[in-house]
Amino acid sequence: MIRDSKFFIENPYGRWVRDNLFSSSSSAFLTFFAGFMVIYSYRGIVGFILNPERMWTSVTYNMKLYMILAYPDEAMIRVWLSVGLALILGGLSIGFYNSGKTISLGGIFQKLFTISAVIAILIALAPTNTNVIQNDGSIEVVEIIPQDVRMLILVPSLVLTLAFFFLRNVKIKNLFNTAKVNLTYFGLIIASLYFIKIPTISLDSSGERIIPDPFLPIASTTYIPWTILYVGMLLFFFIGSLLKNRDIKIMARLIPISWFLCPLFIFSWIFKKPLVELNTVFSADIPSILVFGVIGFLIIRFSDNESVGVYRTPINIGFLVLSIVVFLLPLVFIFKATMVLLLLLLIVSPAIATTKEGKRQLFIVWVVSLFVLTFLIRGASSDTMLVTPTGSIFGGFSLTWLLAIFGTYASFPLGLALALGRTSTLPVIRIICTGIIEIVRSVPYITWLFFASVMLTVFLPAGVEFNLIIRVLILTAFFSGAYFAEYIRGGLQSIPKGQYEAANAIGMNPFQRIFLVIVPQALRTIIPTLVGSVITSFKDSSLVAIIGLFDILRIGTSVIPAQSQPVVFIGRNLEQLVFLSFFFWVFTFVFSRRSMKFEKRLGLGER
Amino acid sequence: MSIIKTVDVKKWFGDFQALKGISMEVAEGEVLVICGPSGSGKSTFIRCINRLEQHQEGEIVVDGIELTNDLKNIEAIRSEVGMVFQSFNLFPHLTVMQNITLAPIWVRKKSRSESEEKAMELLERVGIPEQAQKFPGQLSGGQQQRVAIARALAMEPKIMLFDEPTSALDPEMIKEVLDAMKELAESGMTMIVVTHEMGFAKEVADRVMLFDEGLMVEENTPNEFFDNPKNDRTKLFLSQIL
Repeated sequence: MIRDSKFFIENPYGRWVRDNLFSSSSSAFLTFFAGFMVIYSYRGIVGFILNPERMWTSVTYNMKLYMILAYPDEAMIRVWLSVGLALILGGLSIGFYNSGKTISLGGIFQKLFTISAVIAILIALAPTNTNVIQNDGSIEVVEIIPQDVRMLILVPSLVLTLAFFFLRNVKIKNLFNTAKVNLTYFGLIIASLYFIKIPTISLDSSGERIIPDPFLPIASTTYIPWTILYVGMLLFFFIGSLLKNRDIKIMARLIPISWFLCPLFIFSWIFKKPLVELNTVFSADIPSILVFGVIGFLIIRFSDNESVGVYRTPINIGFLVLSIVVFLLPLVFIFKATMVLLLLLLIVSPAIATTKEGKRQLFIVWVVSLFVLTFLIRGASSDTMLVTPTGSIFGGFSLTWLLAIFGTYASFPLGLALALGRTSTLPVIRIICTGIIEIVRSVPYITWLFFASVMLTVFLPAGVEFNLIIRVLILTAFFSGAYFAEYIRGGLQSIPKGQYEAANAIGMNPFQRIFLVIVPQALRTIIPTLVGSVITSFKDSSLVAIIGLFDILRIGTSVIPAQSQPVVFIGRNLEQLVFLSFFFWVFTFVFSRRSMKFEKRLGLGER
Repeated sequence: MSIIKTVDVKKWFGDFQALKGISMEVAEGEVLVICGPSGSGKSTFIRCINRLEQHQEGEIVVDGIELTNDLKNIEAIRSEVGMVFQSFNLFPHLTVMQNITLAPIWVRKKSRSESEEKAMELLERVGIPEQAQKFPGQLSGGQQQRVAIARALAMEPKIMLFDEPTSALDPEMIKEVLDAMKELAESGMTMIVVTHEMGFAKEVADRVMLFDEGLMVEENTPNEFFDNPKNDRTKLFLSQIL
């Protein structure tokens, strides 16, 4: 038999092939079958993409439309600032958190070997011809990869594959920082924006399309902003490593908080350009900060006072009632939001503000969060100064992002509250929470979306009106919140009884027991599920296309295929669908890979 | 002066009566060992002392506070009474140091630095100061149980309850835990220990009790208990276990 020949027994590669692909006759059959299917569909996909009938310029030309729809040109700097903020924060985090992981030169060559080998195999297997259906229904065979082009790619990649194959065993002691290597790869991608040129639709001075399309760099209009952002990212990477070396502890808290606040800040101020009037700032914001600052100071000051401690429960209940009343009154939103924050302070201060140091820190946190909250709400609740033809500054990918991020932000605490409420021992709370969860979950998301677009205005009190995006956000929060709640409840139930007993035995009150012992463990166990549901809500956000919002999917399926000015793209749906699938795949894939690392880091304390 | 006093404590699980009237007193600084066959109610009894189980009849007074349904009383008693469990019940998401300092910081309202200092002291006392930054999952069973002892001691309790602390351990790890307990007993801590370790009972206990079917059948000094038991049930139990 062949599989018992010397090659398959002694050679390590042969051995691998024998053990993993042809270990039995049925697995050999599966190997051949799967291999055939993979190659067949690969050739089909390449034939589809390179088919001369495809017009990929309809995707590249409309990239801006996809990302930001009709965001005004003169405010483009705000879009770049938004992206830049995220990249800079990314650079800072990589610099600060990368714990000196290193890779050897051999390891780098190993990776390059894999990449060039894959390229060589892919180009070797690519089809030469594809079928084009003519107008009269006949099929014409067209050459899509000429032999000389194939050779031009195949030969160098084969040479590189061979070279890396031998180089990967070099024993060079030098180790390279993984983060720096990755940043270099990223830099190469940025550099390729300059060098790789593709046919680009261009208009001459009179607005006529230049035919044939001239070859221009991939990101012909945006490579300069990308380069600037990359440089900024590099800069902050080095700042991050510097801070790490100086051992500046506060950064370990500041970076996650910045990540949390970054989208809020982007959407309420940078991207939005709110119209802020100074007199509202002086008549509402500053008095609110002052008044609540003083109230917070008093709460912290007297939090461990014996004589006040006796009245703690009535005070807490009083504040709860007061904040509900404030919430229902027609007051400025800032007061309402600050009231909730105050309630939180009231709950946590007896536990934290126990020493002089603790009091001082809590007061600083209180004042800073007052400022941040007021600032964000001022931006979010003001009108925008930007004028767009669609009436909303959010559209395309920015809308998808907005829905995904705020859906998660709002639904997570809501889900946690619902889950805790459902497991509560108080029957009223339990019944209300169970009711909300069951009602929300038993109706399809699309139905809720129609509810948001058509019916919610009927239910809201007269005079209260939100725009469609906010209505959708509220319903998304409830919808994914209900699902989160059930996942979290599953996590809560997985915590052994001994944990509750241990927390009780050291004298914790129910509040401390839940938030210090039970919830952290419950959340850890359900991270994979939570990530899955965040990804789901990211993808589900494209359903808003149905109720008339212009998200990235709607642009691809109905806006671009209807374009006839200045270039005719009518009927170009296939390209858009292929692009959108790829686009969503990249995001969800990256996200789930990141979450796997996150999971590993958090799983440190697992049993 | 008795620090724990129970009068005719009765407890049912559904129809099954686990405790059929236990009356006893423990003096301050005393080490009491409770033994007995499984299902005899010994674990249930010490879990009633800090209200992990609720007794239905009788009264329990700990350090002058009577155990009632009042949450304030229960929390007050729990912070005076440390407990060590058979299955350790450490918090797996926190490091050893965080496990020990959690209660002092949040329940006793101490500052972090003070609590950490105290935690290091306790870890040295139980012999594992070098494990402070590890997670419970990275420790052996014996080390985990010693962390659990340190965690209970961090609250500076007046009384320590041990619920079969060595039953889940490998034989070679039992000694290290028993040594920590011995050291604690010598320091004058009031302890109630439910255990099958008769060697520990002989050496350390001031008093030994035998529970059977929800009743206390014998209460004696260790010497009398092992050499000259009054009750036939005790003789049977000792003949099986020794």
